[in-house]
Amino acid sequence: MSEFGIPILKDKYPVTMDMWPLQTKEFNRVYEFYENLKQGRFTTTKCKSCGHVAYPPRVICPECYGEELEYIDLPKRGKVVTFSEEVKGVPLGFESPLIHAIVDLGPESPVRSFLTRIVNCPAGKLKEGDEVELVVFEVPPHPMEVGKGGTVMCERVFFAFQPVRE
Amino acid sequence: MAKRNACIIAGGMCKWGVREASFVDMFQEAAKECFLDLPTLKPKDVDGLIVATSYAGRCSFQVNTAPVIAERLGLRPTSICTRVDVLCAGGSSGILLAKGLIESGMADIVMVAGGEKLYTPQKWEVFYSELASIDHDWDAPHGLGLPPPFFALTAKEHMKHYGTKKEHLAMVSVVNYGFGSTNPKAQFQKRLTLEEAMNAPLVVTPLTLYDCCPITDGAAAVILAAEEKAKELTDRPLVYVRGGAQVCLHSVSANWPGEHLADWPHLRLAAKRAYETAKLSPSDMHVAQTHDCFSISEVIEVEELGFCKKGEGGEFVFSRQTDLGGKIPINTDGGLLSCGHPFGGTGVRQAIEIMKQLQGRAANQVEGAYFGLTHNLSGMNVEHTIVVYGREPVR
Repeated sequence: MSEFGIPILKDKYPVTMDMWPLQTKEFNRVYEFYENLKQGRFTTTKCKSCGHVAYPPRVICPECYGEELEYIDLPKRGKVVTFSEEVKGVPLGFESPLIHAIVDLGPESPVRSFLTRIVNCPAGKLKEGDEVELVVFEVPPHPMEVGKGGTVMCERVFFAFQPVRE
Repeated sequence: MAKRNACIIAGGMCKWGVREASFVDMFQEAAKECFLDLPTLKPKDVDGLIVATSYAGRCSFQVNTAPVIAERLGLRPTSICTRVDVLCAGGSSGILLAKGLIESGMADIVMVAGGEKLYTPQKWEVFYSELASIDHDWDAPHGLGLPPPFFALTAKEHMKHYGTKKEHLAMVSVVNYGFGSTNPKAQFQKRLTLEEAMNAPLVVTPLTLYDCCPITDGAAAVILAAEEKAKELTDRPLVYVRGGAQVCLHSVSANWPGEHLADWPHLRLAAKRAYETAKLSPSDMHVAQTHDCFSISEVIEVEELGFCKKGEGGEFVFSRQTDLGGKIPINTDGGLLSCGHPFGGTGVRQAIEIMKQLQGRAANQVEGAYFGLTHNLSGMNVEHTIVVYGREPVR
């Protein structure tokens, strides 16, 4: 069997099967979040008119519909409120153990808590109350057509949290 | 002019499970079962179609599904022909919309058909595609597409805050599998002992195999009709769609609306609104179909729907208050745990069971059932949908 499945898609990039976000400015207007992430900063948008902080970042404030937003830094450390560990049956694209935690970024943070993946942590080690920190990692780039026949690769990153090593 | 009322008059579903059938095949089977349920009704009588499906675009490379389904079913809609997508609540959404269209006078007889074809030739794609169920850019990259980790967290939080035990969760599965054992259309017809449920293989602590609903192919269809048309078509007791509500307060997990994951204010609000529109209260309900995608879901649902106090859901289900003879029998056809869960089809299946209960012809009949409700949570617990039914309309 030399060819099977969808030979016409050989070497093509089907964005509809891509689990990672498109991060370049050609495909979204919150690309600054990813630019900041590449610098190790965890940010979101704050409305200059009403002061509302929204996560995830917006292009229009969901409270006052103002369009003048600025990126502010969020804490890069938090505490584990609760967590789950998936050891068997981890879905494609993720490694075992797949650990998820509700992380509390603290009372000073405008975004109090959220659900994140915990990486660089063996199964059975995490405890409630543990301190975790932001970790940024590269994810596969995607091709993008530019002009006539030209293609560039768009670099991408994403984030998770990992246990703080004292 | 008198207020128009909407009644549910017929329903049917195909065999649910791992099906050797396509998306459009199963909708045809479901529609046939639906018309067999009320032989006086013919496809030509149906003037509207609402299709509930979320994964046809993903798993069958088919969008714009309503015309596809209408043609296969021999329907020629003239009032409405559309599709809704709210994942697990698609079927119930279709029913709420059909109620509105019928009461407004825009439609007379509407079919609501829901279902999914989820199994693909290679299994990885089934699981991979579930990433599309949640916010693509902000939650999916954390690997939250498959729901067990999220509901494991929810269960841990309920245990921590209210002292709920694993046995409580296991009893939900025992009761619902018991009901499902009499349902030939369910994915599983198997009785389950508490011991089997307690000793099942681990999925994600504290959830084990029978705490989780399976992945399912299937479709179901119901007919809603204006009251006067219903009276012409059927001699069975009329079942009215009395009210309902659909509440969405957030989407990305960071914006969870509760104090913790076992606190579901969006369901409380949906319940309050639904009871108000139906002019009924929790104590009026005789039977319910709640969204038992996981055993822990049903534990929290009986609390937030007002069938017991907050925090007492574990004891409520463990003392079999949801079984026949209990305070309120729930998921009397087997629920999602036993029937399976082809997302858009689930609300339609629940509606069929409540219709049969209120007409006195259910397999696990609740004596004298007069009012009942269906409930769905959808996505990663981002929306709650309730439909309230009764043997008389709101006056």
